[in-house]
Amino acid sequence: MRTLDSVWGVRCVWLRYFDVFRKSLTYYLVTTFSEPVLYLLAFGLGVGSLIGALKVNGTVLSYRSFVFAGILGQTVLFQGFYEASYGGFVRMYYQKIFTAMAVTPITLSEVLWGELLWDATKSTVAAEVVVLIGVATRDFPPVALLAVLPVAFVSSLLFAGMGLTVAARSRSIDEISYPQYLLVFPMFLFCGVFYPIEQLPAVLQWFAWVLPLTSVNSLMRTLTLGLPFQVQSVPILAAWLLVLVAYARRSMYGRLVK
Amino acid sequence: MTDPVPLRVTRLTKRYHVQSDGWLEAVADVSFEVRAGECFGLLGPNGAGKTTAIHCISGFYPASSGQVFIGGFDVHADPKRARQILGVCAQDDTLDSDFRVLDQLVRYATFFRIPVAEGLPRAHALLARFGIADKANEQVESLSGGMKRRLQVARALISAPKLLVLDEPTTGLDPEMRRTLWEILMEERAAGVAILLCTHYMEEAQRLCDRVGIMASGKLLDVDSPRVLIERHIGADSIDEEVRPGVVWKRGPNLEDVYLKLAGTKLHAPSEAG
Repeated sequence: MRTLDSVWGVRCVWLRYFDVFRKSLTYYLVTTFSEPVLYLLAFGLGVGSLIGALKVNGTVLSYRSFVFAGILGQTVLFQGFYEASYGGFVRMYYQKIFTAMAVTPITLSEVLWGELLWDATKSTVAAEVVVLIGVATRDFPPVALLAVLPVAFVSSLLFAGMGLTVAARSRSIDEISYPQYLLVFPMFLFCGVFYPIEQLPAVLQWFAWVLPLTSVNSLMRTLTLGLPFQVQSVPILAAWLLVLVAYARRSMYGRLVK
Repeated sequence: MTDPVPLRVTRLTKRYHVQSDGWLEAVADVSFEVRAGECFGLLGPNGAGKTTAIHCISGFYPASSGQVFIGGFDVHADPKRARQILGVCAQDDTLDSDFRVLDQLVRYATFFRIPVAEGLPRAHALLARFGIADKANEQVESLSGGMKRRLQVARALISAPKLLVLDEPTTGLDPEMRRTLWEILMEERAAGVAILLCTHYMEEAQRLCDRVGIMASGKLLDVDSPRVLIERHIGADSIDEEVRPGVVWKRGPNLEDVYLKLAGTKLHAPSEAG
């Protein structure tokens, strides 16, 4: 009974976000989907036409296909992180809606689950748009639309956990810039979005594998391009997911509740 | 189990860590109850512990010790059932600025399992009652401070609660709107709603509350009706008050005099904590 009640609470919170999304659909469509589409155009079609083919883990493929899959990973990183960090901070600090919802029959724990699941949902939808474009340009097979879904959702949840942790631990909205520059951008640049990490020195490769985006990119390329499965990516993602989601909830609880 | 007493607070204590001062006992061994159709006031200056007490009563903060029962349900052990009959208007603006005025109420009602078809007429009726029906389709951010305050009280009433908790509800309202809100609160009280009103406005407490708890430094110093509190601590004699140098007014004793005598500080003493 309690579990069903909790599911109902989380659903209420998720529906609140969906309602906001639905009512400002144009705004959200532009802000959510323009970024990955612009990256696809610039790097996939622009840079991709200069580079041609490359060999990754023994497989030859076009740079455009390679970077399309990388932008898939970058999309879940940016969408999950930014929605939960900046968006979460605004909802927590300025709008105070976590507090407002948590004095109704919905508990704070459910509010935070609803927040994370919504952030992950929105990010997954954006990732699916990238896959759709990849399918349309024949870089990805149509089955990728379904195959990518669970990995996109889990990775989105992971990065939403990272973002919500940042929101909870930032004293002001400006402080979100620190992890943005020290964690998100390094992942964006060194975790295999634009080039195979094998091009990096061994130390940086090791560093890249510690960060979760490398595992996300590896799995995405396996699912969309058929590159060899790198088994270490699953435990790395699972560990990051468990730690970040738990830490996000704990941090936000600690921030709001005395 | 259900309890005919909407709110029972038993030996509630709340301590928390403050970086600069170590541990702060914001609420210390506080006990009171609010009966159906009663308006109970918590009167004290900023920093007396009223807002922390409200956070504990709503179940948002865990209590360090003691218990809070809403309609017989322990708010910390069974928050969902307890809060089903609770309406809260917080001191801060907690309106959801992502929604228009009407949608906000309807969405909030769903948190109490009130379907949209039922929430919609309730929301319209509340907006009319609070004099903001013409703002139904406006964005919350376009409302004045007073209108936002009214909307927040209206939102607390959307679920037709049996216990209404209001933290400084009239702050920022002009005198006319303050009186309108008082009338609405008295209508709710007459309909059997129990009201817990936190205020530092002495006139508000004296006018609205059947009983008042005087709070200072986290402690409940005394509880009774305003009349009895004044008689007990001040007496019936009029008081000479020097309103400015050389100008003395004679006036009747009031709750502020009671507060000054019990707490030794003024009601409007500035402080950081709530």
